[in-house]
Amino acid sequence: MTSPRRWLVVAALVAAVVLLPLAPRLLPADETDQEPAALLALLAEAPDAGWSGYVETTGTLQLPATGDLDDLGSLLGETTRLRVWWRDADSWRVDRLLTAGESDLRHTDDVTVAYSYEAQEAEVSRDPDIRLPRTSDLLPSELARRFVVGADPAAVSAIPARRVAGVSAAGLRVDGSLADERTTIGRVDVWLDPATGVPLLLEAYAEGSSAPALTSEVRDYDPGTPPASVVALEPTADTDAERVDVLDIADAASQYAPLRPPAEVAGLDLQPSSRGAVGVYGRGLTQLVAIPLRDNEADPLREQVAVTPDAVATDDTIGALAGPLGVLVGGRAGDGGWLVAGTLDLDALRTAEADLRAGAVYLPEEDQ
Amino acid sequence: MIRVELSKMVRSRRTWVTILLIDALPSLVAVLLSLTAIGPRPGTGPAFLSAVLTDGTLFPLAALAIVLPLLLPIAVALTAGEAVAGEAQQGTLRYLLVRPVGRLSFLVAKMVAVMAFVVITIVVVAVTAYVLGVLLLGNGEVTAGSAVVPGGTSVSGTTLSTPELVGRTALALAYAILCMAGVAAIALFLSTVADSPLGAALGTMAVLIASTLLFTLDAADVVRDVLPTRYWLAFVDLFRDPVLWRDVVRGVLLQLAYVVVFFGAAWANFATKDVTD
Repeated sequence: MTSPRRWLVVAALVAAVVLLPLAPRLLPADETDQEPAALLALLAEAPDAGWSGYVETTGTLQLPATGDLDDLGSLLGETTRLRVWWRDADSWRVDRLLTAGESDLRHTDDVTVAYSYEAQEAEVSRDPDIRLPRTSDLLPSELARRFVVGADPAAVSAIPARRVAGVSAAGLRVDGSLADERTTIGRVDVWLDPATGVPLLLEAYAEGSSAPALTSEVRDYDPGTPPASVVALEPTADTDAERVDVLDIADAASQYAPLRPPAEVAGLDLQPSSRGAVGVYGRGLTQLVAIPLRDNEADPLREQVAVTPDAVATDDTIGALAGPLGVLVGGRAGDGGWLVAGTLDLDALRTAEADLRAGAVYLPEEDQ
Repeated sequence: MIRVELSKMVRSRRTWVTILLIDALPSLVAVLLSLTAIGPRPGTGPAFLSAVLTDGTLFPLAALAIVLPLLLPIAVALTAGEAVAGEAQQGTLRYLLVRPVGRLSFLVAKMVAVMAFVVITIVVVAVTAYVLGVLLLGNGEVTAGSAVVPGGTSVSGTTLSTPELVGRTALALAYAILCMAGVAAIALFLSTVADSPLGAALGTMAVLIASTLLFTLDAADVVRDVLPTRYWLAFVDLFRDPVLWRDVVRGVLLQLAYVVVFFGAAWANFATKDVTD
C-alpha cells in the first residue's frame, strides 16, 4: 500500500472515531401529537414517575454569596454532576459526584440523609418548611415543577422536540414576557419524555440573553423505577451519623427569628409552605424568598453585593442582578435586614422589601 | 519479534531502575503516613489516600492515584518515545529492519513491549503498596449492621466486602494499564516522526500537559470529552455504590480510539519511510 493510501486509511479511522459517538445525537427527534396543555398535565404528574440516570447542570450565575451561602453560589455558578435514583417524590437519592468523592442526599418520606464522603458523616434531618436550594432542586424535574407547572398556562407554548438521552423529548416554552412583565426570566424551555412526563432537559434564560443562565440535562436516562434498596443507607462505623435540627441559614431564620412575614409583598401571595419567619412568595416565573438576617449575617452580604457589577444602592437597600436572579439586602450597615432574592427586577424586589419592613409582625416574647 | 522485544525490555537495567523510581514515591508516602498518621481530608489529595490510615489494603489504589497523573505517563512517554527513534539514534534501526520482519510487526512488537512495561510497573507498584499498606497501616474492617467484617467503605458510604474490594481494585489496575495504552500509541507515533527519542517523549508530554490544562478550562468544553487525560481518574467510579460505569466505559473507548488512530498513524508514517540510521 502506498503512503497516501495509508494516510487515507488513518483519515478514515479518525472520521470513524469522531463520527460514531456523534451519530446518536444527529438522529432527528420525533414530534409528539400531544397538545401543550396535555404535556403540562403530564409534567405535573412527573414527580411520581420513577426513573434513574445521570444529570449535568450548568449554572452561570455569579451570585454575591459568602459564608453560609457558599454552596448555593457553587450550585448556581458551576457545573454539577449528579447521579439520580427517583422512585417517587417521597423516595429518591441524588449523588453529587466529585473527582475523588461524592456528597449524597437520600430521601425517604420526610427524612433526608445527607452523606458526605469528604466529611465522612451522615446528617439525618426532617424536611423543614423552608431551606436553601440543594442538589436535588437542580434536577430538570424539580426545576420544571417550580417554574413550568406553576406558570400561567397562557404563557406556555409548544416548541420543536429534541433528542435528549436517546429520547425524542417533547418541548414546552414558558415565555417570561407573557407571564409577568416584572420577571427577569426571558424564557424557560423544557423537554420531557412524552411517555412518562419526566423532564429531561431544562434551559432557563435571563431576559434579553441568548445563552441559558441555567441548564439541567439528563444525559443517561432509564425510565424504570429503581429498587428501594438503592435509596436506603446504613452508615458504616467509619461514618459519623448525627441528627441535625437546623439545615441552613434559611431554616434557622424560619424556625427562630421572632417575626412573621406579611401575607403579600409586591402583589405576590405568601406560599402555604411559609409557616415561619421566612417568606416564599409568588409562583411560576415570578417567585421570591425573603429571609430576615441578623447584622452579622447581613453585613458580609451587603459587602458582597456592593462589589457586584451593576449593584444599585439606595438609602436603605443594596441590590444586584446575577443573570435572572435578583438579590437585594435591606437595612443599613451594622443593622439586620431582609434578604430578598428572586426572579423579579430590582424595582419589584425593593417594593417587596418595603412591604416586608412595613408588614412583618414581631411575635410577643411568650410565642417565641 | 515480540519475544525479542520483551526480552530486551525485561533484561534492560533501565527498565527496573525506572520502575524502582516510580515505586519509590508511593512507598515513601506509606512510610510517612505510618510515622505521622497525618493524611489528607477525604475527597482531597490523591484519591483514597485519606482512607488508607484506617485500611492499609486500600493503599494500592492510593498508590495508583499518586503515580497515574504524572510519573507513570512520563515513564511510558520515555519508553515508547525511544521505541523507534532510540534505535535510529543508536544506529541499530536499519540492522533491525533488514531482518525478514515486516515493519508493522516491528511496531506491534514495540507497542507490546511498552505495554508489558506498563503492566509490570503497575503490578510492582500495587504489590509493594499492598504489602507496605498492610504492614505499616493495618488491615481494614467495617461494621455492617451488627457484624464486624473485613472490607471497607465505598465512596457512597456503603459497605464493600473484601472480595468486592479486591475485584474492584483489579478492575482499577486494569483500567490504569489501558489508560497508558493511549500515551504509548502517541509516543510511538512521535517516535516514528522525531529524530531523537527525547523529542518524541517531550512531544508526548506536551500533548498530555495541554490535555490536563484544557480539561480545567470551561472554554474548552467542546473538546473536553476527547482529551487523552479526560477519564484517567474515572477508576474512582469503580468504588461508588452501585458502580458508575459511564466514565469508565467512555475512558476505555477513548483510549482504544487513541490507540487505533495513533498506532495507525505510526504505521502510515513508518511503513515505507526511508531509514538511513
